[in-house]
Amino acid sequence: MIATLAFASLRRHRARTALAVLGVAVSAAMLLDMVMLSTGMRESFRGLLLSQGFQLRLSPKGTLPFDTEATIRSADSIVALIRARPSVAAVSPVLGGQLHFPVGASTVTSTALGVDPSVQGDFELVAGRDPAAPDEIVANDATLRALGRSVGDTVRAAAGYDPQLRTLSGQRVLRIVGRVRFIYLALDQRAVALPIGTLRAMNGPASEGRASLAMVRVRTGVDVERERADLAAQLRMVTVISTSEALKQVDERLSYFRQLAVILGAVSLVVGFLLVTTLVTVSVNERIGEISVMRAIGVRRWRVVAQILLESSVLMLVASPIGLALGLVTARWLNSILASFPGLPERIDFFLFQPRAALTALGLLALSGVLAGLYPSWRGSSRPIAATLRQEAVG
Amino acid sequence: MRSLLAFLLVLLLPLRAGAQGAATQRSIAIDSRLAADAALRVGDRVVVASEPGMPGDTVVIAAIVERRADPAEIARGEHRIRLHLDHLQTLLGYGDRVDRFAVGTRDARATSEAVSRINAAAYGFRAHRSADVAVETSRTFAVVSRFHRAIGLITIVASAIFLLCIMLLKVDERRRDVAALRLIGCSSRTIVGSVVLEAAAVAVLGSLAGVAVGGAASWIVNRHYQAVYRTPLRFSIVTGDIILMAVALSLVLGIVAGWLAARRLTRQPPLVLLGR
Repeated sequence: MIATLAFASLRRHRARTALAVLGVAVSAAMLLDMVMLSTGMRESFRGLLLSQGFQLRLSPKGTLPFDTEATIRSADSIVALIRARPSVAAVSPVLGGQLHFPVGASTVTSTALGVDPSVQGDFELVAGRDPAAPDEIVANDATLRALGRSVGDTVRAAAGYDPQLRTLSGQRVLRIVGRVRFIYLALDQRAVALPIGTLRAMNGPASEGRASLAMVRVRTGVDVERERADLAAQLRMVTVISTSEALKQVDERLSYFRQLAVILGAVSLVVGFLLVTTLVTVSVNERIGEISVMRAIGVRRWRVVAQILLESSVLMLVASPIGLALGLVTARWLNSILASFPGLPERIDFFLFQPRAALTALGLLALSGVLAGLYPSWRGSSRPIAATLRQEAVG
Repeated sequence: MRSLLAFLLVLLLPLRAGAQGAATQRSIAIDSRLAADAALRVGDRVVVASEPGMPGDTVVIAAIVERRADPAEIARGEHRIRLHLDHLQTLLGYGDRVDRFAVGTRDARATSEAVSRINAAAYGFRAHRSADVAVETSRTFAVVSRFHRAIGLITIVASAIFLLCIMLLKVDERRRDVAALRLIGCSSRTIVGSVVLEAAAVAVLGSLAGVAVGGAASWIVNRHYQAVYRTPLRFSIVTGDIILMAVALSLVLGIVAGWLAARRLTRQPPLVLLGR
C-alpha cells in the first residue's frame, strides 16, 4: 500500500515530478562529474607514472623530474651504483634537450630525449624498432610531419646554434628507425629519442656524464618507500621521489581542481536536496487532510513517514541513472576542454570514470533523498489529527 | 637553454657573520617566501652555488622582495633569488649567454620594424612581440577560463530547472486563488501578468541575495587561496558587470519560468482548478 500511495502521489503532478527528476538528474550529473574530477586526475596520473613499471625517479636536488633544465652530475656513476643494488631490477637514465633539424631554409626544433634503449620507459613503439646504434633515432608523428620524413629516412640534426660563426653546432646525420608515441609528453609536442651517449656527444663537454632524470624499477616484493629512503640517504646530490611522493606533489599543484570539485559537488548535492525537500514539503502540505484521514482510520505514523520517504527516494532513484548518463556526457565534454592544457600528456584524464566514483555519487544522492523526505514526513505525520481534519473541513 | 632564472639550481647555505671580508662580497635579493622559510634577513650572508656540493660564492642579502601576482607561478611553490646578470653567468659557467632580453620601442610601428630587423639578422634566436608572448604564456588560463564557462553553463541549466520547478509549485499552491480570480472576471492576461511580476520580483530578490552570498564566497576564496599559495593574487573577483549579468540572467529565467507556470494554470477551467 505504501508504494501504491507513493507512486499515485508522484503521478498526480506529472509535470512537477518530471521537472524534479530533471533537476535532480542535472544535480546528480554535476555531482558525478565532480567526484570523477576529484579522484580522476590522481588515478590517471598514478596510472601514467606506473605504466612502465618504474616506481622511483631521481632528479637534480630540489627539483621534480623535468621541472627545470637542471641535470644530474656524474649520472653514470650514480646509475652504476643503483644497478649494483640487489633490490633494483632496472635503471633508466634520461637526458632531456632539444634538437634542431634544418629543413630547407628553416629549422624544425624538437624535444630530444637521450635514453638507454634497452631499459627506456619514455616511449612506446608504433612502427619500426628501437634505436640501437649511435646514429639511430626514433620520432613521434608530430616531428615526422614537421620534417616530412618517415621511418628509414635520414635526417641532419644539431644540438645548438653558434651565433658567432652562424652555424649549427653538434651536427649529426641520424637515421630514423622508428615511429613512437611518447608517454609523458603532449600529443602535439614534437619529440625524438636517441641513445643518451649520442645526445651527450652532440651537446658537447657540458653534458658529459649528465642526465636529467633516472627512473628506477625495484624487484617484486621490495618495499618501495624503504628503497626510496635508502637511496635518498646514499645519494645526497639528487632528489629521490616515489610514485606516492610524486602524487603528493601533483595533489599540491592541482589542489585547485580538487577543491573546486569538492565545492561544486557539495553545492550540487545541496541543490538536489533542497529541490526534493521543497517538492515533498509542498506535496505533503497539499495532502495534509488526506494524511490526517489516513491517521484517523488507523494507518500508523511510520507508514505515513515511509510513504513520504519513498516518494523522495523514488525521485532520487529515477533521476540517478539519467544523471549518471548525463554526467558521463558532460564529463567527456569538460575533459575535452581540460585536455587542451599546454603540455599535458595524452594519457592524463581529468574526469576518469571509476565504478567507485559512480557508487559514491549514487550513495550520496540516495542518502540526500532520504534526508530530504525526513522533515516533510515528520511534519506531515505529527500534526494533531482532529484539529487538522477540522481545519481542512471548515477551511 | 637552461634558464638563468632557474634559481632552484642555486643552493643557499647560511653563513655566520665574519666568515669572509665584506669588500669582495656581492649582493643578492631574495623573495619573501624564502626569507620566511629560511629565516633570512637583510644583511645576512649566504653561500650560493650552482649545484649541491659545488663551491659557491658568499653573498650578502641586500633586499627582500615581494613576488608579483603571477598566476603562472602560484602552484609551483618555488623560492627565488635575484642576482646581477654577470654574477649568475659566472656562477653557472654561462659565459655571456642569456635566455632572453627585452627591447623597449617608441611605438607599435617601431616594434614591428624592430621585430623584422632583428629576425632578419638573428641566428639561433627570434624576436617576439610582448603581446604574442603574453598570449602564448596565458594558454593555460584560457583553458581554465573555458572550463569555468562550461561549469557556469551547467549551473545555469540547473538553476533554470530549479527556478521553473519552484515557480510551478508556487503557482500550483494558488490554484484556488486563481480560480476565484477567474470566476470574478479577472482575465487570464491579468493573472499571468501578476504571476510574471511576482516571479520577476522573486528572481531579482533571489539574485541580490545570491550576489551577497557570492561576494562573501569570493572573499573567503581569496583569503583561503592567498594564504595557501602565499600570493597577493586575487582568485575571485566580483565586478559590476558580473553582478549585472547574474541579475539579468536570473530575471529572464524568472520571467520565463513564471510565464510558463502561469500559462499552464490559466489554461485550465476555473472549476477544474477548484477541484469540482
